[in-house]
Amino acid sequence: MDIVRANDVSRVFPMPAGPVAALRRVSLAIGAGEHVAITGPSGCGKSTLLHLLGGVDAPTDGSIVFEGRDLASLSEPERGRLRLTRIGFVFQRFFLLPMLTAAENIELPQAEAGAATSARRSRTRELLAYVGLTDRADHLPSQLSGGEMQRAAIARALANRPALLLADEPTGELDEATSDTIADLFDRVNADGTAILVVTHNPSLASRASRRLAMRSGRLVA
Amino acid sequence: MSALHLAWRTVRRYRAQTILAIAGVAVIGALLFDMLLLSRGLLLSFADLLEHAGYDVRIVGGGGMTLRMPIPDSAAIADAVRRLPETETVVLVRILPARLAAPGGKSSASVALIGVSGAAAGAWTIVRGVDLDRASGDACPVILGRSLAARVGVGPGDHVRINAEQVGVSSALPAITCRIVGVGQFAFGGAGDDTVATTLDALHRASGEDRVGDADLILVASRPAAGSAAAVAAIQRARPGLAVYSNDEVVEQFNRNGFAYFRQISLVLSSLTMVFAFLLVATLLTVSVNQRLGEIAALRAIGIGRSRIAAMLLWESALLVGVGGLLALPLGELLALGLDRILRQMPALPEQLHFFVFEPRALVIHIAVLVVTAVAAAAYPMWITARMPIAATLRREVVG
Repeated sequence: MDIVRANDVSRVFPMPAGPVAALRRVSLAIGAGEHVAITGPSGCGKSTLLHLLGGVDAPTDGSIVFEGRDLASLSEPERGRLRLTRIGFVFQRFFLLPMLTAAENIELPQAEAGAATSARRSRTRELLAYVGLTDRADHLPSQLSGGEMQRAAIARALANRPALLLADEPTGELDEATSDTIADLFDRVNADGTAILVVTHNPSLASRASRRLAMRSGRLVA
Repeated sequence: MSALHLAWRTVRRYRAQTILAIAGVAVIGALLFDMLLLSRGLLLSFADLLEHAGYDVRIVGGGGMTLRMPIPDSAAIADAVRRLPETETVVLVRILPARLAAPGGKSSASVALIGVSGAAAGAWTIVRGVDLDRASGDACPVILGRSLAARVGVGPGDHVRINAEQVGVSSALPAITCRIVGVGQFAFGGAGDDTVATTLDALHRASGEDRVGDADLILVASRPAAGSAAAVAAIQRARPGLAVYSNDEVVEQFNRNGFAYFRQISLVLSSLTMVFAFLLVATLLTVSVNQRLGEIAALRAIGIGRSRIAAMLLWESALLVGVGGLLALPLGELLALGLDRILRQMPALPEQLHFFVFEPRALVIHIAVLVVTAVAAAAYPMWITARMPIAATLRREVVG
């Protein structure tokens, strides 16, 4: 069963010098438990596709259907709720809240989803152990290394047990050894049943995926 | 993990920015608070002075309260008023300019000579000696203002010579000798306090008036059971055509005429300070939000609702304005004390009159204005975050 499906989607950005087509009639489906990697040069539309699949942007043409629901038919609060509970986001720059500890960053989406305090504390402990940050729970992001920050960000993305994890250049700011650790972690997350779509320049990270796609000039080419 | 918790952690994290904002709001808030104290301070202080003088009704001659003229046939009027069941005490007051000379002519001073028919309790406070009603046997007992007594170098028991002057009339009347029975603090006396009080009879002798002359002012204390409004109505019924005012009416008249200037100034300055506070907090919050656009876009992407982010910004604003506003109160009070001391040095002002007077209403307005400022200052940053295109912001942050 497909978790998310892009049907013939295009995305055109209006620019002062004229409209720029970032995506041209792309179709893609990601099934439950799949691990998909999209590679391609900068500006080919990888991140745009990821944003459309994650419901943070809307296609100019075509449709995105997530678990049977057309995202265009949902209101912004409904899309927000979907992102909160069914989708996990991992960003290149981590985007952890700098004033919250690692544990609090992981707790935040659970609190937004309405989880009880005891339940979210327990889930946070479980996730910290899962990503190997138990002893860093009370550290602020500024006190963590890049790899630790990304692991905390992955734990945050998994907080509400999403069906799909979307990762945008998750190793873009990390060295090779740390990137491998993150790749291992993605493998484990996928093995535990969460579908993953990762867009990356990193061939090593892409090689871990069960399905690898390439993009050129707004089109999927393989 | 409430929006307040997030806001608290944010203001703690950006410490320098927080301290700057709080300090700015505290200073601006202190000015706002002072403007509020000033807007009605004189009026409240004036009302308090009138209240403490012990008389709640005033009968004046033509010209009303501002341009005082003698009341013709005032002794008969006073008798008629005294007989009314709504009144308790009636005192005639006559004020003339006079010249006071110390024994041996060592020093002299121009003074305001007040003649009263009775003790005029409340119009002054005896600090040394006794009041006029306890100086039996003296033909001309006088009470000198404290600073006048000190300046002329006299005290209770000393004699002084007084020449009363009729305005616009040349006089060759000899000075009369009076005995100082007390030194007092006059409720309406200025810092120089060149005031001398005596009996109405003594004033008439000093001025050469051949009858119990026309008083400038008749002070009336109403019976507590009747109240000032009933006393005013009764006096007007008994003697139609008299200019009779309750203290409330006097205060209201001054509010409309004498103090409107302060109200307008304080309104303009209060509005300006509020705008400054708004600009300060709005600018700092907007800068702060612009620095955190990536974080906020990421929060929106992971499903944190617009309302929680907006509430967080509102709380940030409330914390900055709230703490600054609280600090503004003692700061404003200190500033008001200093400014009040300076302003009260103006000549011819009653020493007990204050420009900055606290009243609960000022505190309520201060809080209300700061709440409005906090909400207004948070409005634009909230609007930015609510309207931000998530994907475009994330893209910009990564590319940037």
